[in-house]
Amino acid sequence: MKKIRVLILRTAGTNCDYETQSAFELCGAIAERVHINTLIERKDKIFEYDILAFPGGFSYGDDIASGKILANEVKNKLGDEVKKYALSGRPIIGICNGFQVLVKIGLLPDPELFKQISTLSYNDSDKFECRWVYLKTEKKIKNESSCIWTKNLPDIISLPVAHGEGKFIPMNEKFLDNLNKNNQIVFRYSLKDGSEPEYPLAPNGSTEQIAGICNKKGNIFGLMPHPERYVFALQHPAREGFNSKYGWGKVIFQNAVNFVS
Amino acid sequence: MKCTARCETIKILNLSDEELFELSRKNVLSMSLEEMRVIQNYFKKLKREPTDVEIETIAQTWSEHCKHKTLTGAVEYTEEKDGEKTKRTYNNLLGETIFKASVELDKPWCLSIFKDNAGIIEFDSENGVAFKVETHNHPSALEPYGGSATGVGGVIRDILGVGLGAKPLASTDVFCFGDPDIEISKVPEGVHHPKRIIKGVVSGVRDYGNRIGIPTVNGTVYFDDGYISNPLVYCGTMGIIPKNKIDKKIESGDLVLVVGGKTGRDGIHGATFSSIQLDKESDVSAVQIGNPIIEKKVLDTMIKARDLNLYRAVTDCGAGGLSSAVGELGEKTGAVVYLDKVPLKYNGLCPWEIWISEAQERMVFAVPPRNIEKIIEIFEKENVEAVCIGEFTDDKKLTLMYDNDIVASMDMEFLHNGVPKPIKSAFYKMKEEKVQKPVEMSSFEVSNSLNSLLADLNICSKEWIVRQYDHEVQGQTVIKPLQGNNIEISGPGDAAVIFPYTVVKGTKKGIVLSNGLNPQYGKINPYNMAASAIEESLRNAVAVGADIRRISILDNFCWGNPNHPEILGSLVQAMEACYDISKAFEVPFISGKDSLHNEYSINGKKYSIPSTLLISAMGIIENVENTVTMSLKKDGNKIFVLGITRNELGGSVFSKIRNIEGGIVPGVYHRESKDIMEKIYSAMSENLIEACHDCSEGGIVVAVSEMAFSANKGVKVDIDAIKIYSYLEERCRSGREMTPAEILFSESNGRFIVEVEPDNEEKFKKILDGSIFSEVGYVSDDKEVIFESKKNNVKIRQNSEILLNSWRNTINW
Amino acid sequence: MMFEIEIFTKKGFKNLRGEHILSDICGLSIENITRVEYSPLYVVDGDMSFSETEMIASEVLIDKITESYVIRQCDTECCSRVISESFDVKETDRLNLDFSVIEVWYKKGVTDTVSESVVKAVKDLGLIKEIKVKNGHKYYLYGEILQVTLNNVATRLLANTLIQEYKIH
Repeated sequence: MKKIRVLILRTAGTNCDYETQSAFELCGAIAERVHINTLIERKDKIFEYDILAFPGGFSYGDDIASGKILANEVKNKLGDEVKKYALSGRPIIGICNGFQVLVKIGLLPDPELFKQISTLSYNDSDKFECRWVYLKTEKKIKNESSCIWTKNLPDIISLPVAHGEGKFIPMNEKFLDNLNKNNQIVFRYSLKDGSEPEYPLAPNGSTEQIAGICNKKGNIFGLMPHPERYVFALQHPAREGFNSKYGWGKVIFQNAVNFVS
Repeated sequence: MKCTARCETIKILNLSDEELFELSRKNVLSMSLEEMRVIQNYFKKLKREPTDVEIETIAQTWSEHCKHKTLTGAVEYTEEKDGEKTKRTYNNLLGETIFKASVELDKPWCLSIFKDNAGIIEFDSENGVAFKVETHNHPSALEPYGGSATGVGGVIRDILGVGLGAKPLASTDVFCFGDPDIEISKVPEGVHHPKRIIKGVVSGVRDYGNRIGIPTVNGTVYFDDGYISNPLVYCGTMGIIPKNKIDKKIESGDLVLVVGGKTGRDGIHGATFSSIQLDKESDVSAVQIGNPIIEKKVLDTMIKARDLNLYRAVTDCGAGGLSSAVGELGEKTGAVVYLDKVPLKYNGLCPWEIWISEAQERMVFAVPPRNIEKIIEIFEKENVEAVCIGEFTDDKKLTLMYDNDIVASMDMEFLHNGVPKPIKSAFYKMKEEKVQKPVEMSSFEVSNSLNSLLADLNICSKEWIVRQYDHEVQGQTVIKPLQGNNIEISGPGDAAVIFPYTVVKGTKKGIVLSNGLNPQYGKINPYNMAASAIEESLRNAVAVGADIRRISILDNFCWGNPNHPEILGSLVQAMEACYDISKAFEVPFISGKDSLHNEYSINGKKYSIPSTLLISAMGIIENVENTVTMSLKKDGNKIFVLGITRNELGGSVFSKIRNIEGGIVPGVYHRESKDIMEKIYSAMSENLIEACHDCSEGGIVVAVSEMAFSANKGVKVDIDAIKIYSYLEERCRSGREMTPAEILFSESNGRFIVEVEPDNEEKFKKILDGSIFSEVGYVSDDKEVIFESKKNNVKIRQNSEILLNSWRNTINW
Repeated sequence: MMFEIEIFTKKGFKNLRGEHILSDICGLSIENITRVEYSPLYVVDGDMSFSETEMIASEVLIDKITESYVIRQCDTECCSRVISESFDVKETDRLNLDFSVIEVWYKKGVTDTVSESVVKAVKDLGLIKEIKVKNGHKYYLYGEILQVTLNNVATRLLANTLIQEYKIH
């Protein structure tokens, strides 16, 4: 069987690239950490890969605003290629800083529009927050399978968050309605029983507790929590997981690998 | 020797003693008269005046910060006990205490100790792990944000610069501050309010550590009014390094490559400055600002270059800047450096400023000429500046050039070994410790004290700080700083464990990091402070599953002015304890650092910090799956107290909040304690222990409460079942039994609280056979935390949620 | 040309940094200050035209959802003349209120990483010109505030005079 190849795009300040690579490798893929300068030198190299990942970190220090400078760079230097890649239906994931980049490039929520129509702003607490949270996986999404990344997950999972700018804000009500209508809201922060949380389990004050969204087609997925930090049960605070060994984050990477297989 | 317009000759050959001393003072050289005389003699032999570059280079190289003259110097020590004086002379204080212990222990798994930028021990057959802890006190007092950030950046570079470079896996941070609630009018002039310092320091560590992507996993915060003018900021980093990359070797002809940040006027005189007392007009340029992204880029690229074997040596630019880095690397060979080639942030720097600037994020490499193009390409491909500034020679001289002029030319031998070793005198008078008057308290008072203790600054939750640090980046933090059974509630973990699965594929092993610190004990008994700090660091590591036979430790001394015999005397006491305890537990020191001269003068009055020793421990765990957290797991499980409780309330948090006079500082009873530590490891290897917590500040009552509230569970403890020492024991002789309050709040070392399932009880007891321990209670299904002594008719009953709230509401800004 | 770009939080969004500063001010037992707003400032010095500067502001410096900007043209020392406002900022909105302003800037020679990043981002936009950027902080403090109080707030909270300088106006 052909090995699945994953491109993990990194730059100055990317710092979750190794664990993202490990997560894909655990799912049987070949994952490469590629510096943005290398990709800019040969732009069409991107099409050699089956999956594209924007990992977490502080690209360019998150100076000005999180993900802003990298988004600006990608859009101006690799905009055509990335848009073509996204519209081809291949899976793209943006985790934490990567999600911020996807939103600021405009690949989310609508890659055809390719414009920034939502943002991830400062946490309501005005602090960086590193903690585990509960996420409600949206039932509809699961059944209708529009998001290829989040199949086979239980109703509630927990993942760690670690960010200072994770408050999701859509440009206006209409865009928010569209997100809801098209089942694009994949994860919402919640309590263990699925009900509405308060701070700190609502870590940033996101609109409608949004923690992760996908595009309409379901191949592009962005989320603030870190699934790559929960591929083993051992990484959970109480060591919970499935098959007594794995963490639920692994399922997310497995889904993409299975999808392109 | 010719000097350009930018370089001056300093006339010293004909100066009198007074003039020499004045020269040192005026130019912030921090050199003693004796040192100035040695320099004068050296240049008399050369028959010429030195340049400013040469004088500055010597000052940097000989600084306390770089050479540790006091610790490695000679000390005439006098000890007074019961009116009798005994004397001892040390030729090398460090060499005859801490270092000696490690040499005598001679552990085969110690791969590199006390010689490189960090100590290295064996991780597995292929890899070693390196650990280093530094202080950044003075800069953090002046500019808390920049000071602490560059502290983190600096110690990370130590790890990048150990051997041929280790990959950093985790950081630790320990702070000592003044009372954050002090009225602003009581803060000395020219000093930032403690709260501003705390917020600045925490943000600095947060922004540097989070951005560079190294999880900050362990630490502590200690509050005492003695730190108002002079906070302490300790930063540590641990990294992993292939065993075949541990040795540096430089050959003549290798090129000097400077990589990373540009050089500016930042941090000029940082190294000499750290030996000067803080005063109101402290030097502006001593303050530095860091850029973690540059350092991250250096990290990303240099590991690539390392794995391609493109260079032969590397070190970081820390205190003393290029002068220290190139000086160290070229000590055996000699080096020539073209200062005009060093990339600058802006124009206008004099040659000596370029040479000693402490601009951040720079590393120096020794690169064979054949690899130079390839290595520069690797750096430049990721926008990292790399410039060749000179080469290593074979003339054993340091030669500095600027615009084709020689601006410095000195023998490496003189530079590195020419510093005269001072002889300092030290004096210590043993203080008599007496058991306090019996502490009789009603159940109600004990309950209240429990809540006050949990809310005390030195015990309360540091969650506000911990959660601002990304302690899970890299995904390898499997024992976290805050621990609980779910994600809603957590209590204070004893140590952190890193499972380096992304670097060492397929490994089961882990690395444990912990610390021990208790300056309060040192005010009464510096020997037992040091002994307790070591034991506490070991207990913390053992509590999560470390094997005592594979733990190494680091020392960090922050002391007042060592020119005062009493202050140096307490340092000698602490270092003697380090030798004794290291030997007794067979736990070697692998690295250390000292920061002396922590003094501050206002209006002529001198303030000195409490003598403070931080011990940081790093150990290897065979199987990370066997590690445990401190929160109670299941109703009906049994609670054991391991170790013996003595009447030791001296320097305790309880004594402080209840204003109890007297009391004996906890001692270390290594035979009992080491035995228990070994047995805990055995029991954990067989998965017989569900939860384990170190018993330290606040005593048994605090430790048990923390285990209960972090699990949202109840617990019932029979005070009468706790093993206490017979009152006949010599140190704690009081001629009486301990009261329930004394049993609950005593801070005796060597104790653990352990939770065991009833089914495992027999096996557990069998392993513990021969040690002092007892079953004291059980985990209950209600949320009541109960301590009862039927004998004394005392019963404390508290709801665990209320205890949790007492604990977590103190620092919540 | 030299331009100063000031970034505002749009109406309807929280000015978190301002709120945070206000709570710190209360912690210092300083009264009379009722509200604080924070605005980042950038001075772009170099061969940029006005329209290029506008592009830098809108593409690089603001978050399009939550922020807007004002561009002022600078003479040597003073940046006063407003020459462009994004549509939902009206500086005149404040005019009826009592407020004071504290500006904080790094002293010369102090590392300013944000400015270095802005220079990179401007290059990525395709504007290949030599520019210098300075990054500063502007605080609007509302209420009737004594000069001595402003100095207190500036030195105890907003600026470390060792590495920064501040202006009150």
